[in-house]
Amino acid sequence: MAKAFPGGYFGRALIVDLDTAATEVKPLPESVLRSFIGGAGLGAWLMHELCPPGIDPLEPPAPLMFVFSPLVGTPLTTSAKFAVVAKSPLTGRLTDALASSHFAIAGKLTGHDAIVLRGRCADRSVAVIDGDSVTLTPADDLWGLPAADAERRLRERMGPAWRVAAIGPAGERQVRYATISHDGRHAGRGGLGAVLGSKLCKAVVVRASRKVAPADPGAVLAAAKELRGRSFGPATAKYRELGTMANLLAFNAISTLPTRNFSAARFDEAPALGDEEVSTLRQVARNSCASCSIGCEHIYRGSGGKNTRMEYENVFALGPLCGVSDPDAVIAASGRCDELGIDTISAGGTIAWAMESAEAGLIDAPWLRFGDGDALIRAIEEIGTREGLGELLAEGSRRASRAVGQGSEAFAAHVKGLELPGYEPRTLQAMALGLAVNARGADHNRSGAYEVDLAGGHDRLTGGAPQVAGAIETEDRAAIMDSLILCKFLRGVFEDPFAEWAALLRTVTGWDVDAAELARTARRIVIAKRLFNLREGWTREEDWLPERFLTQSLELDSGRAAALTPDRLTGMVNAYYRGRGLEPTGVPEPGTLRELDLENMSQFDRGSTAIREN
Amino acid sequence: MGTAKAALEWHGSTLLRRVTGIVGRVVGGPVIVVRAPGQELPALAPAVEVVEDAREGRGPLQGLAAGLRAVGDRAAGAYVSSTDVPLLHPAFVRRIVGALGQDEDVVLPEIGGHPQPLAAAYRTRLLGVVEELIASDRLRPAFVFERCRVLRLSETALLTDPMLARLDPGLSSVENLNNPDDYRQARALEPPEVNVERFGTLAPESGPRRTVVAACTLGAAAAAVGLTLDEHVVAALNGDQIIRDPELPLAAGDSVAFLAADAGG
Ligand code: SF4
Repeated sequence: MAKAFPGGYFGRALIVDLDTAATEVKPLPESVLRSFIGGAGLGAWLMHELCPPGIDPLEPPAPLMFVFSPLVGTPLTTSAKFAVVAKSPLTGRLTDALASSHFAIAGKLTGHDAIVLRGRCADRSVAVIDGDSVTLTPADDLWGLPAADAERRLRERMGPAWRVAAIGPAGERQVRYATISHDGRHAGRGGLGAVLGSKLCKAVVVRASRKVAPADPGAVLAAAKELRGRSFGPATAKYRELGTMANLLAFNAISTLPTRNFSAARFDEAPALGDEEVSTLRQVARNSCASCSIGCEHIYRGSGGKNTRMEYENVFALGPLCGVSDPDAVIAASGRCDELGIDTISAGGTIAWAMESAEAGLIDAPWLRFGDGDALIRAIEEIGTREGLGELLAEGSRRASRAVGQGSEAFAAHVKGLELPGYEPRTLQAMALGLAVNARGADHNRSGAYEVDLAGGHDRLTGGAPQVAGAIETEDRAAIMDSLILCKFLRGVFEDPFAEWAALLRTVTGWDVDAAELARTARRIVIAKRLFNLREGWTREEDWLPERFLTQSLELDSGRAAALTPDRLTGMVNAYYRGRGLEPTGVPEPGTLRELDLENMSQFDRGSTAIREN
Repeated sequence: MGTAKAALEWHGSTLLRRVTGIVGRVVGGPVIVVRAPGQELPALAPAVEVVEDAREGRGPLQGLAAGLRAVGDRAAGAYVSSTDVPLLHPAFVRRIVGALGQDEDVVLPEIGGHPQPLAAAYRTRLLGVVEELIASDRLRPAFVFERCRVLRLSETALLTDPMLARLDPGLSSVENLNNPDDYRQARALEPPEVNVERFGTLAPESGPRRTVVAACTLGAAAAAVGLTLDEHVVAALNGDQIIRDPELPLAAGDSVAFLAADAGG
């Protein structure tokens, strides 16, 4: 008798050729699923399999994939999530961004653990996926619309059972940090929307037509009930009651709030943007993703009456980072980013770079100044339409600064081309390492090393062994959460995370997986992403921070200076490499590849990687 | 005073816990307590190291030598304090340590015309000199100063530091307790006033999130605003380190930010 497939999986990926709408099913062996789970992990494996080496991410053969996970569709809280994975047009490296809600469930219940798009539609199209069949329908009437409007129209036309992931005008114009969104939630980082736009595909539409059961439905139900109870506890109170906006004033108080393109870490006008001020005046609703008992989304009303989801990252990037303290301007800017479909962090980071460059006379934009909310909104508009200065800024801060030159590269705040999130590396030095070494670039979701800095056990202004160990540990935890997938905002409820996650995975799949196996899986996923980047030309130079952070210190209220030296960062990167089983070049040691069963993924030239000299 | 000064209580803490905590807030390296052989000490923060005097009753130079020996391979300079200074302020320690340049062996405050060798900074390389003096029974600190380069700082010179002038204008940092009356008076003093701010879910539902409380320790400041430092609550002191230790001493003018421990995205 054939062995039953593990619970929670279909064991197949649907590969869609957008040139012809032809499809092919790629079987996913159980060994692969067990080794990479789903979401970001399985996405990394699929990228090794399906992405041609050296491809330009905006060329037709470059794949874009929606990857689901075994937990999707179960009643486990926060599990309705999917990963969108591609080679990033912003970084040229692997990017995987998560989004949530009903698209995750409907997409998986097309009968696939992943849907991979490659090729390019002959005309502007929508890809409609129903079971194993794909239809391309014209998208002329949708072109130019915000993703949310396109989604609404498609559901009105096709019916409420259909779920839509779409791009906005920025994706159509291949802004290198365009997003893909569903139900207002963005797979935001790395320019996935530009990849879909390059395929002339406005939206992907799916509906549920298959079923998949977990291995032990009763145990899953019991675990879901228990987890839901825990999700109402103090570990998630911040997200429920205030949302991540609550970080703004707290980060300001501890000099961790990036301000005016990282030239400061405190913003005097922060209280005008703080949760207290803005919530009282403008908060109108709370919302949550499908299957979530936390409900972290806090919705605010701008002065024009439009409702906008606001989070710490939008507010930091479009507020303090650009020196803007007018809440109406920040809410409007955030809303406009959503409509155009651009990542607020990269938009804010690129505009802040442009503001500094304009003030220094390096680019000709006298209208663009720190603190000017109207200028911020104009810049966003130009980026979304690639008009005026937007043609340059749509390329992201790394490419834009290289084009402008004259030393402006020194204050382009990115790692591997991805703009920094709202965590000041000089005052959070475990996070400095996390930002430097992560495969996706400067990122707070794949590396949660700031948790080590903010926990109080170690001096956050120095970087040493505890910070390195913490950076590795939080990166491992993120690798599993992003592959299961569970929302990061749930992480505080797990006391023994790997053991508890293994228990959940056991009930869903039926595998005898334990904490030790999952810890090894985490390492495998982290290294698999690194191997993809290596294959695409990564060198050790990329595991580094921009010059500003290594040459300019910050003065704290306590009288201490927060400084991160190149020597300290080099020491931490070296220690990270040792901790991860990498050679001093950042290349995995043969023994590491053997231990993690990754030998067949190592398609790179060991001799071509460079070592940074400081 | 009927009990060793180190263990004297002051607003819920002991003098030794307080002084080691205040010094520890400023210096970058280890904090060392030198005790008499076999002397019982009150509870200390885990990071504080304890060494013993080689011999009891040989005065301050014996303790100085033991302390310099303990830190000599880890620090070029050390702040040296007696234990009976409940009003020692971090701004004072910072002023003294900050004045220890390459050209000085000792930074010696002189207050009311009196040198303060137990509120001074020393180069650890002085260990040899101090040991020689002990060996030849020359046990007064003044003999050390004869043999090295000393930067003497008067009240006026000390108070050129604006932070010290603001936070300890009377230089109470060096007021020590010589008799039971001194101790009684010290205990009668109000705890220092500190600024407290609560963020996120810790902020009150109504009323200001910012307030001033009288509190000698972080735990007391938390209690004054109805908080407990548990796994869900941390504090940042003066916008600097994130701390969970309720025993951490506070000083006048400190600002404490209480944050939810899950700060971050
Ligand atoms: S906590 Fe927020 S982001 Fe996470 S699943 Fe729930 S609503 Fe979505």
